[in-house]
Amino acid sequence: MTADADLAFLSARRIAALVRERAVSPVEITHLYLDRIGRLDAELRAYITVVPEAALESARRAEAAVLRGEALAPLHGVPYAVKDQFDTAGVRTTSGSRLLEHHVPTEDATTISRLNAAGAILLGKLNLTEFALGGTQQFPFGQPRNPWNLDHDPGGSSSGSGIAVAAALCAASLGEDTGGSVRSPASFCGVVGLRPTWSRVSRHGSFPLSWSMDTPGPLARTVEDVAWLLQAIAGYDPKDPLSSRAPVPEYAKGLEEGVRGLRIGVIRELTSGPETDAEMKAAVLEAARCLERVGATTEEISLPLVPRAGAIFMALADSDGAGVHHRWLRTRAAEYDRGTRRRLLTASLIPAAIQQRAARARALLGTQMREALARHDLLLCPTAHQAAPPIAAGRGVITSRHEVAGRFFTRRSYVTPAALAGLPAIAVPCGFTRAGLPLSLQLIGRHFDEATVLRAAHTYECQFEWSRRRPPGAA
Amino acid sequence: MSELTTEQVGALAAALGLPVTAEDLVEVTHRLNGLIDALEPLAALPLETIEPVTGLGQPPLS
Repeated sequence: MTADADLAFLSARRIAALVRERAVSPVEITHLYLDRIGRLDAELRAYITVVPEAALESARRAEAAVLRGEALAPLHGVPYAVKDQFDTAGVRTTSGSRLLEHHVPTEDATTISRLNAAGAILLGKLNLTEFALGGTQQFPFGQPRNPWNLDHDPGGSSSGSGIAVAAALCAASLGEDTGGSVRSPASFCGVVGLRPTWSRVSRHGSFPLSWSMDTPGPLARTVEDVAWLLQAIAGYDPKDPLSSRAPVPEYAKGLEEGVRGLRIGVIRELTSGPETDAEMKAAVLEAARCLERVGATTEEISLPLVPRAGAIFMALADSDGAGVHHRWLRTRAAEYDRGTRRRLLTASLIPAAIQQRAARARALLGTQMREALARHDLLLCPTAHQAAPPIAAGRGVITSRHEVAGRFFTRRSYVTPAALAGLPAIAVPCGFTRAGLPLSLQLIGRHFDEATVLRAAHTYECQFEWSRRRPPGAA
Repeated sequence: MSELTTEQVGALAAALGLPVTAEDLVEVTHRLNGLIDALEPLAALPLETIEPVTGLGQPPLS
């Protein structure tokens, strides 16, 4: 491993500290990531658009500010990248679709302007499943690949956000989580990903999928980095009237306080249910025991509706998406990827009685989760039912109604309960399969209690060195 | 709910002005039937008394 690679794999906070200490120049670290993108991304396809000139210009300004001895923002000089679902002024924003191949916004999304204000340097726009829906068959801007095994799925919809962090093609990234789109790629790529409480982060300038679930969220190599990124993007935004006015706490402040006294409910149906792979189950139960050893108490709990969450989610979120895309579906259907088009057409035709049943079930599931969180500080389960599957497993046409649950609903039932209930949830690496693919623990917290989620995740992370492992092809 | 046929799904799409190719129609019908199957067990729950609001825990705006 070279010294350059060691620098590239440092945490965002460590890079910010080195910049502050003048041990590393923002120009130097930006060049390093641009070189890595040039060398590795032809295969990984994390990026749709790279902005080297703009990034280096920002880096030179950041360097000048350091040399002038100015007060520096928390992420000063830290190169990041963002899912191509977020508007960037003057930089094309495709949402992963040919329909928006030439779309160049005139204004930054609120999250982008906040990250820039925090001193971070934008390297480029990251690949995603088309319009942040899953099931893309042919990626218009290249097939994103898992850095731990190129034949395997990196997860989605924030695919590039997971890949770029795992392979050190940026220091940290931003994704968007409607029903697991931050946590799934974090899980499959072996990085940390946070879905904040719905409304905690402004959605302004993010291409919509579902108004009641869309939530921007950070991905990084450490929990501390995720806390700092959340700090930069959280808070009320007048441009998103549904964003919360609740005060934003200092998320990194309590990270070292440990988990002594925390009560954690282990969701039986997702941790020990028949769909959960044996290696995933073993790793997550060991993580629960680890949290007990450092002072938490754990108790198995039952939430019988969660295995239905994937189907409930698709009945509701996909219907919202069908509404967003209705005009284009009527006039430009052939321009969508086949998988996206068929998913949106299906959603356009869901009978109202079925959708109503799903909406009522969502309300019941939300009540049950809030009741569980009244008795426990956190809920724990795997982030996914298995490690990253082969890319080929998600390909091919559906030839029977009986294939639908296995293809679409099972895996979503692990990440959609938090989305349906609007709760914060984090994905944290918790080991590797015998084949060398990452495994991931999920912690779900109370509304607006990201601080406890982050504290427990950080405490767990500090017990192991999973985050120190590097993907084989990313040296 | 009985299984929807491709003819029924095609007619519904046409009524909404959605162009569906013959290839798409077969898979869309499977997907729609699969979704309805997956949500069928929820009919056994006492959902009639639950109002379908999201209840996302938004704190007061002021």
